[in-house]
Amino acid sequence: MLKVVRGCTAVPQDQDDLLQDILVQIWSSIPGFRGEAKETTWIYRVACNTAMAWRRGERRRREGHETFIKFSPSPQVQPSHLDSMPEQEAVVRLYAAIRQLPKVDASLALMHLDGLSYQEMADVLGISENYVGVKLNRIRKQLADQLKGASNEL
Amino acid sequence: MNFKDLQKAWQSQDASAQVTINADVLLKEVRRNQQHFRAGLFWRDVREVGVAAFLTWLFLHWAIRDREWPLYLLALACFSVGSFMLADRWFQRKKQPAPSDSVRSCVEGSLVQVNHQIWLLRNVFWWYLLPIQVGLGALICSVVWQLRQAGLAVILGLTGYALVCGLLCWGVYKLNQYAVRKTLEPRRQELETLLSSLN
Repeated sequence: MLKVVRGCTAVPQDQDDLLQDILVQIWSSIPGFRGEAKETTWIYRVACNTAMAWRRGERRRREGHETFIKFSPSPQVQPSHLDSMPEQEAVVRLYAAIRQLPKVDASLALMHLDGLSYQEMADVLGISENYVGVKLNRIRKQLADQLKGASNEL
Repeated sequence: MNFKDLQKAWQSQDASAQVTINADVLLKEVRRNQQHFRAGLFWRDVREVGVAAFLTWLFLHWAIRDREWPLYLLALACFSVGSFMLADRWFQRKKQPAPSDSVRSCVEGSLVQVNHQIWLLRNVFWWYLLPIQVGLGALICSVVWQLRQAGLAVILGLTGYALVCGLLCWGVYKLNQYAVRKTLEPRRQELETLLSSLN
């Protein structure tokens, strides 16, 4: 979820806002979960739909609302878990590149990087597996163009 | 760095460890969210359908008391507008997309709703303004006919009143068209772009 949020916006307050929205939507949608899809696929669906609706609409601030999420120390990429500086930089640049993509492509890129199968990605988006493949080829190319210097073999 | 390395680096970000969720506050927020949603729908119904129902009752009451047929017409106009709103709301509520649907279904569902909203506002003259105006027009004509002996001043006054009603309707119509242009059309375009990227 945090990756979806980071892939949508770089503004910490917006990230916080969107993550809270996603969690509320997931929690509210649990009674409708019939187990037809894997939990990860289902969570991705809710997260992507919420993220797309959030970006579509006005940016709502949770004024007067209690915050139920705490980031420590901040919701940014945590370098300590990555092995080396080039990897940290690559991930940071990758987030920036993903944010430049159209919404659907950004969602696909996030799922692909997270290691979801073609079938799972097709299930989340409601498109065919073949089309997932076609789109991913295009997205990889776009990301490679944007990440020139950091990655040559995408 | 190739794609596999990049994917490995990506997956090694420890995302969940950085987040602490206060479950009580989350639950409170979910309940508040649902209550806010239900309250929003309820008050919208009260405002739109409730006013139509009240006016139906009021005009019907006056029509029975005064035995004036234009008041029956006005009551019928208010009743039909209220019924139309209620029926429309009921049919549309069934088509609401769920957040757990696939992105494509969700976008398609939202697009259907936005298109319907645009259709409603573009045709506000036919289902809202015209029935009310026909009822009001009949009432004004009937009063003018009854007061035809009272003199030109009264008739002119009533004509002025009819003009004000007409202007008010024109204003309501323009306001609806402005809402379509300003809010709904851009949203439709955005949804169509999203949908085309899924096709």
